Amino acid sequence: MKKIRILALGAACLMVAPVFAMAGCAETDETIVLRVSNWEEYIDLGDWGDDEAIDIENEYTGEDYIMGVNSVVDDFTEWFNSQDYGFEVEVEYSTFGTNEDLYNQLNLGDVYDLVCPSDYMIMKLLDEGEIKPYSESFMDTSIETNYYINNVSPYIDGAEGSIFDEYSWNGIAACYMWGTTGFVFNPELVDSDARDVSACNILTNPDYYKSVTVKDNVRDAYFAALSILYEDELNAINANENISEEEKEAERSRLLNMTDEQTIAAAEDILKDIKENVYSFETDSGKTDMVTGKVIANYQWSGDAVYIMDQADEEETELWYSVPEESTNLWFDGWVMLKDGIAGSEQKQTAAEAFVNFLSRPDIAVRNMYYIGYTSSIAADEVFNYFDWCYGVVTDEESEDFYEFDNIYVYDVSYFFGDDSYIYIDMDTVAVENATLTHEYDDDEYVAGYPVYSGGTISMGRQAFGQYPTGDVIARSVVMQDFGDDLAAINQMWINVRCLDLADIDATTVIIVAIIITVIAVAIILYRFRYAIFYNRPRKKKTA
Amino acid sequence: MTKALKLRFNRRQLCIPYAAFLILFVICPLLVIIYYAFTDGTGQFTFDNLVQFFSNTNTLGTLLNSIAIAAVTTVVCLLIAYPVAYILARSKFKKKYVLLMLFVLPMWINFTLRITALKEILTAIESNIAMYPFLNTVIGMTYDFLPFMILPLYTSLSKLDKSLTEAAEDLGANSFTVFMRVILPLSVPGIISGVTMVLLPSMTNYVVLDMLYNSTYIMGSLIGSYFAAYDWNNGSMISLILLIIIFIITLATNRFNDNGESAGRTIL
Repeated sequence: MKKIRILALGAACLMVAPVFAMAGCAETDETIVLRVSNWEEYIDLGDWGDDEAIDIENEYTGEDYIMGVNSVVDDFTEWFNSQDYGFEVEVEYSTFGTNEDLYNQLNLGDVYDLVCPSDYMIMKLLDEGEIKPYSESFMDTSIETNYYINNVSPYIDGAEGSIFDEYSWNGIAACYMWGTTGFVFNPELVDSDARDVSACNILTNPDYYKSVTVKDNVRDAYFAALSILYEDELNAINANENISEEEKEAERSRLLNMTDEQTIAAAEDILKDIKENVYSFETDSGKTDMVTGKVIANYQWSGDAVYIMDQADEEETELWYSVPEESTNLWFDGWVMLKDGIAGSEQKQTAAEAFVNFLSRPDIAVRNMYYIGYTSSIAADEVFNYFDWCYGVVTDEESEDFYEFDNIYVYDVSYFFGDDSYIYIDMDTVAVENATLTHEYDDDEYVAGYPVYSGGTISMGRQAFGQYPTGDVIARSVVMQDFGDDLAAINQMWINVRCLDLADIDATTVIIVAIIITVIAVAIILYRFRYAIFYNRPRKKKTA
Repeated sequence: MTKALKLRFNRRQLCIPYAAFLILFVICPLLVIIYYAFTDGTGQFTFDNLVQFFSNTNTLGTLLNSIAIAAVTTVVCLLIAYPVAYILARSKFKKKYVLLMLFVLPMWINFTLRITALKEILTAIESNIAMYPFLNTVIGMTYDFLPFMILPLYTSLSKLDKSLTEAAEDLGANSFTVFMRVILPLSVPGIISGVTMVLLPSMTNYVVLDMLYNSTYIMGSLIGSYFAAYDWNNGSMISLILLIIIFIITLATNRFNDNGESAGRTIL
């Protein structure tokens, strides 16, 4: 059906084009091919069921719901070609599996105009001078269709003091998705107050022997190892009240970005312990292993954690997400234009920037969030409403979805959506410490007469917490830098960890192999000398 | 004379496509591998990569581990496949091709899919598969490579002339002697090709280890990991070392193969 539509659209274009050409608009004939490379399963591919429509008004399409009928890429092409850009665009969409794959592809000569690598890979590409900055008009907030710069969270980009500002990425990269790293876990199978999963050292904890998985990724594994190595220092920094937040942040960032020889060697030892203790280093199996209950906890990116919790809910298993208390790796995936691809073509640049802006259009951001489970960088009202629609308690007693909760927590996401952005969520879905009762039964006008708690700290919760961690989680997070010149040493360290050390080969394996080799040797010898042994006569000479 | 020459020339011409293929896809990549193996990142000639492989206990451990897994897998495959192939070849059942098909059928299903299914089965049996990584890896490898062992054995056993065994029985040999003196020697070519088809790929098959052995590296994934880290030089050196090992094994089995055939001939 989709194909027919595209064909029809193409046919329509073909038929219309000569008309325009005759009318003197020769430019419409031109088609720019935009080569986009994105992570696998990182964009809405459409085809939603009718019951999946999100109940939020969509001012951009004029519908009173948001849903993906066609893929975002198709929608972009259709939208772009209906605009007055003077040329048409065709998107050549491809995907990559890891940042390193993308980097290798680029080095082997693949050319893309727009790619979506993670923070450290952006740093690396920037250092190598591969990135083409966005135009000034892209960053101009006065243009209404600049959806990215007008809607991106001030916490991430655009505003002074935003993270992109700190790393001078303004105008270099446009943040697409972001998140934290933590543990998805089954609360029934860990200790009663889940203290064990609130620190990375669960990975080396013998109580969880062969029942936790880690991502098979050198950066995440190295971060976890450093979190274990510097656990005491990090906790001391977090608890220290005599130094400012900035100093704390700088100190945490310094510790978790150490790449000197001793640190790498210490990390190697820790990672070998981790390898001994964990169920596996997983590339993709972690999600299913978690849902099917093969493992108790999984060190995971927040977006995938949300996806896992959703999947588990369908299987009627309740999983939680916890961010380690010492620190967490705050990561970003951002769109960058590549010099090699754009090659000075203004039209390409326009098309690439329009693509990023289209993805940042609030309804599209919501669609992507719904489809892939990750958290968009866009902080528009639609996104906030979507967040509330998903996880917020229905406070309107008249509503048919109204349900009486005993305790409700004010979940504050002001750091991301701007002041006074909070939703009410059921306290059974967050583990709150030190919360204070803010509204009594009688005088609460917000939540239909139920107690409302506020102001506590949250280090674990369910999907809502996975998508937007609380401000104090954000405060203790660290952005992991590119390894730079130490990359080779860290890669070698990782290979050493993943190999089986001669010293680690256990005795039983050696004995089994030795026995088997002996048996084979004996069998061969018996076979060769069978005449002498079995039949007591010399071997026959070869007949001619 | 001229006619014969012409004919020879034509015959040579027939070789050109294969020769071109060989040069383009075997010789050239091999030369590139050798070049990378003996240079460092800047293109300078060096033996460092070779020294590094043999001085790092981790890579050596991986080599030994790969050989161990491959050897155990091959022996297990052989022990399981030989009786099966023998029974199949001897069976009076008219539709024995159907039986054979049943054994080869798993080959039609994607191999990653099979291992995923196996992982579930093993989990059901062992409850936590991470406890027995070596055993599970051997089971997984055997599951994957068993058809490659059965097929050549079946072929060589079914080609076996029945009159030979009957003759041996007539001359008073008991069934053990018949097997040792007639059937086993004649099936040696099948054993050799089965062993080659199982031993060599199972040294580099990393999918099984990724899923069943805590993602421990085997030779294949070790090479891949160097390539993924943009280190073409060390990766090429390990490929080269693996190539040499495989070459030696092939050479040895071929010698043995010749002996086996001549052993067969002595009986004839």
